Amino acid sequence: MNQADVSKLISQLRIAVRPKARNLKNKDGPEGRLLKLRKTVTALVKHERIELYYNRADEARGYAELLISNAIRHGDRHKATMELADYWLLEKQLVHKLFKVLVPRYENFNVSYTRMYKAPRDYPGMYYKKSVLELRGNPYPALTPDLSQNRNLLHNVLLDEARKEFKREQLAELANKLAAESGTKSTTTTSVTSDMPKEQKTENETPTTV
Amino acid sequence: MSVVAKLHRTTWSTLKQLQQNGRKARFSASATTSRNDLFTHEQRRQREAVGRVDKIEVRYMGQPEDVTLVMNKHISTPYNCAQHLSEGICKRSALALIDGSVPWDMHRPLPESCTLQLLHFFVAEPHLVNKAFWRSCSFMLGAALSRIFKTEARLQLHSFPSPNIKSGSFVHDVVLGTHTWEPTKAEMRAVSAEMVKLAARDIPIERLEVEQELAQEMFKDSRYKNAQLPSIAQQNQGRVTLYRLDDHIDISRGPMVGSTRFLGKCTIIGAHKLSNKGATDAFYRFQGVALPSGFMLNHVAYSLLEQRAQKLNPARLPNEPFEDQQQLQLS
Repeated sequence: MNQADVSKLISQLRIAVRPKARNLKNKDGPEGRLLKLRKTVTALVKHERIELYYNRADEARGYAELLISNAIRHGDRHKATMELADYWLLEKQLVHKLFKVLVPRYENFNVSYTRMYKAPRDYPGMYYKKSVLELRGNPYPALTPDLSQNRNLLHNVLLDEARKEFKREQLAELANKLAAESGTKSTTTTSVTSDMPKEQKTENETPTTV
Repeated sequence: MSVVAKLHRTTWSTLKQLQQNGRKARFSASATTSRNDLFTHEQRRQREAVGRVDKIEVRYMGQPEDVTLVMNKHISTPYNCAQHLSEGICKRSALALIDGSVPWDMHRPLPESCTLQLLHFFVAEPHLVNKAFWRSCSFMLGAALSRIFKTEARLQLHSFPSPNIKSGSFVHDVVLGTHTWEPTKAEMRAVSAEMVKLAARDIPIERLEVEQELAQEMFKDSRYKNAQLPSIAQQNQGRVTLYRLDDHIDISRGPMVGSTRFLGKCTIIGAHKLSNKGATDAFYRFQGVALPSGFMLNHVAYSLLEQRAQKLNPARLPNEPFEDQQQLQLS
């Protein structure tokens, strides 16, 4: 009855986390693993985009998400959060960056704070999967091409035409309805056309490109 | 004893049936092989007619850097130029642009010195390459249809109108030996699957210009193509442009993309009956929508495109009188 709502005790992450942690082979054991991850999280907060092996990136990503999420939830007056930041960020000036730059940036986000891409592996070289881990909203140019801007691309031409046809059909439908309603009353065509655009904007939900 | 006799009778009847089917299939198969033999023969003849090899200078403009290539006149193609640049460019280039304005097939020999640009689907102004893609889709649809229909259906390819992407679908008009075929979803899916199979096989699309007489000889068993040939040849100084995909040969003005590999997501979604043709046959219009490989589209958005492609395409119908020969099929 008086139990706390468990789901609110810890931050809910917006990424898929593996049920089991990776050991990330290290001669110092679990401590060495954590030091590796602390270095990665520090580098991510510092550089905002890093390229590294997939396993280490995926493992560090969850901790970075948790750190930012807690910082947003509790703010910089919360002792536990401050300790968490102190632990994960090896360079202490980054604690300021976390609360003064990243928290305002991600306050109103409803998606994850980080992004991960698969990167090509070196050839010839180590046969380990590589990846790029980045903070969203970083100042670098985007890694993936933006296919929604160029309206001449084939899929955009098709989608634009589909949207136009949808609007035409709606217009015709509405005109028919008005004509049927008015019956013998003579309606001016100008009133019909002036009404149209508002209706379509609300009704037309044709999705754009991805 | 009676069982043996029964068995014998059944095997005999199936054998006979098989033989009959085989004869039917052999007839159309032999027409295809003879057409292909003529195509290959003419291709070789044209290659040998080049004679002494002259050199041309091709100025390539684009990534990774502008270079001048010394190529063979009437032999080297834009694809060969791409081979000098990189494997990535070879794979990516769907169409070439000669002297900044003339679209050119990737596998068509270059006749003289020129500048060369290689186009792909993500360039800033992709109109030309989009159009070539749409045309290739119509052409591939013809190949897929002629593979998938049994001989009993008496399928004859008629033509395809010039590509219009804004209409939302690519089209191939055919004549089927029935008045009352209602395509089911499964049948349309089978045609789509055939298109996907063609795409997966990465077959180069070859181009060949031939004299009208040879084209008549090649299409002598195809009634509709044979009727179209004189007017097509008349517009092009007695020559006809043919395209080949594996063993499928069709007439088209071109240009087309270099390979079937460029077809990505593809759905053949509509087959509309246009009109009856004679006592037994009827015109059908097959329609589909496709995206080049590499385009990722949300499935909701793609389903909207599919719905639109299902409606009858308003392009010129094959049974309408050819009032304007320029418009006549196969651009």
